Amino acid sequence: MLRQEQNDLLTQTGPGTPAGRLFRSYWIPALLVEELPSNDCPPVRVKLLSERLVAFRDTNGRLGLMDEFCAHRGISLWFGRNEDCGLRCPYHGWKYDVTGQCTDIPSEPENSTFPKRVKLTSYPLVERGGVLWTYLGPADKQPPLPEYEFATVPAAQSFVSKRTQECNWLQAMEGGIDSSHVSFLHRGDINSDPLFKGARGNQYNLGDLRPVFEVVESPGGLYIGARRNAEGGNYYWRITQWVAPSFTMIAPRGGHSVHGHFWIPIDDEHCWTWNFDYHPTRPLKDEELEAMRAGKGIHAKVIPGTFRPVANKDNDYLMDREAQRAGRTYSGIEGFAMQDQSLQESMGPIVDRTKETLVATDSGIIMARQRLLHAVKALMEEDTTPPGVELEHQKVRSAAIVLPPDQAFKDGAKDAMRVQPGVAPATV
Amino acid sequence: MLSESARATSAAEARFRVEPGATVSRRLRVVALDAASDRLVLRLSKGSWSSVTFVPHAELTTRGADDIAAADLVVMVASVGSDASAAARIGQACSDMRTHTATFVVRPSSATDEGLSRTLAQVRPWSLMVVVASDEAYVEDVLRSFR
Repeated sequence: MLRQEQNDLLTQTGPGTPAGRLFRSYWIPALLVEELPSNDCPPVRVKLLSERLVAFRDTNGRLGLMDEFCAHRGISLWFGRNEDCGLRCPYHGWKYDVTGQCTDIPSEPENSTFPKRVKLTSYPLVERGGVLWTYLGPADKQPPLPEYEFATVPAAQSFVSKRTQECNWLQAMEGGIDSSHVSFLHRGDINSDPLFKGARGNQYNLGDLRPVFEVVESPGGLYIGARRNAEGGNYYWRITQWVAPSFTMIAPRGGHSVHGHFWIPIDDEHCWTWNFDYHPTRPLKDEELEAMRAGKGIHAKVIPGTFRPVANKDNDYLMDREAQRAGRTYSGIEGFAMQDQSLQESMGPIVDRTKETLVATDSGIIMARQRLLHAVKALMEEDTTPPGVELEHQKVRSAAIVLPPDQAFKDGAKDAMRVQPGVAPATV
Repeated sequence: MLSESARATSAAEARFRVEPGATVSRRLRVVALDAASDRLVLRLSKGSWSSVTFVPHAELTTRGADDIAAADLVVMVASVGSDASAAARIGQACSDMRTHTATFVVRPSSATDEGLSRTLAQVRPWSLMVVVASDEAYVEDVLRSFR
């Protein structure tokens, strides 16, 4: 459990908050490339870390992310006209370029210098791996562009989706590093989902419902190992990577693609769940892509034109009690993604962690919270760069591997847990 | 009309969550498996705790394993490079009494991977959960997370 002030510290990420400053130390995913598909396409509203912004791609293809509201009288620039290298407010014609610099105020005399003195807050927006990334921190501390492997492999090897989640980022992220729920909540899907089934390792999952967990501090966050008995007295390890503040990569199964997530605060009661699937050494197959687009695996089917899942709180997540009773799903909710999201949203917009009763198998979650609290404290008191900012912290892989019983997985899986270009992932 | 889930997950409804029941605090026993962990365990023992007791390394030879295992959760603390073989005796008693165990392994920056492997080999068979961290401050943080 956390004290109230600790819970507040980690769940509040708006401007001026300590965890907000933490998130503003990193490049974070903001949009999918397809949301700004062409030059002069319509602008898009973006809300991140409780800041309302607007994104657009100008006439020359440059990307902009800036204050949503016109400096004049506060009109939303979502209504703006994207033309001639800028976004023009339709109310009085004030125009801004991709850096937020006002370039024209029609009511001013022709050679007026006043427009030069008007600039909207703006943030860099760059494309990498099918994602448009932004950095909302101070310009003088901007880190190098992210190097997570899914974003650096060729486009044919990676698929990214996102969806809105109607709860705080932290309770969503904690679900991603909580290995102990898989044998229950997702029991019905491990051997049926096309992006999970068929792996030899699945039999260890289903044969051993009480894995032993090992949580090891890593340079960027944590390695979370789940250990099950394998043949010959060996251990089958599934090692999840958690890189601060909210990146996870789950251990692969068989020859399937490798997947993981980011959870990015929209505001304190909503977040983006980003989902990636990639393979380090081969293109994704047509049937894999089809399954991902259909909402299989960690992806979810969304309402067309939105990023809201089809199964959501407004339709009770399409709960099927018959499927629950028959054992086709454990909770009555279909699909990995919404099985997690429905329960995480049920905790309330910001779960009250003063009311928890944690057990030993929650140590991964406990350690992640403490890593974050330590990182926030060090950042606020000593301006220490948080874990996960350095590029080497991002060049990691998850792993599924069989090891002898007396070997530390940090040692035995050392090579498997770092990016090795051209080398297939460690999987069972 | 809002669905039940939509209504139930609103911030307004979150206010109506009941106070936790009169759950009896779990009895935690924190055990220093080696002399190197003693300093940490002794320091922790001086703090204010509810239902948490501490067993310094010196008591492992004088106190019965069953007595040490008589708790809801036994948290063993070991340091990489030291002899953590006492985990076997404690762990066996915990196993006989169905007491859950967790082990915290403190890994200083000077510790080698081989040293870590040796310590893990000693504690793994007896721990339902193992945490390896470089900063011993995490031990107190983790203990305070358990109600």
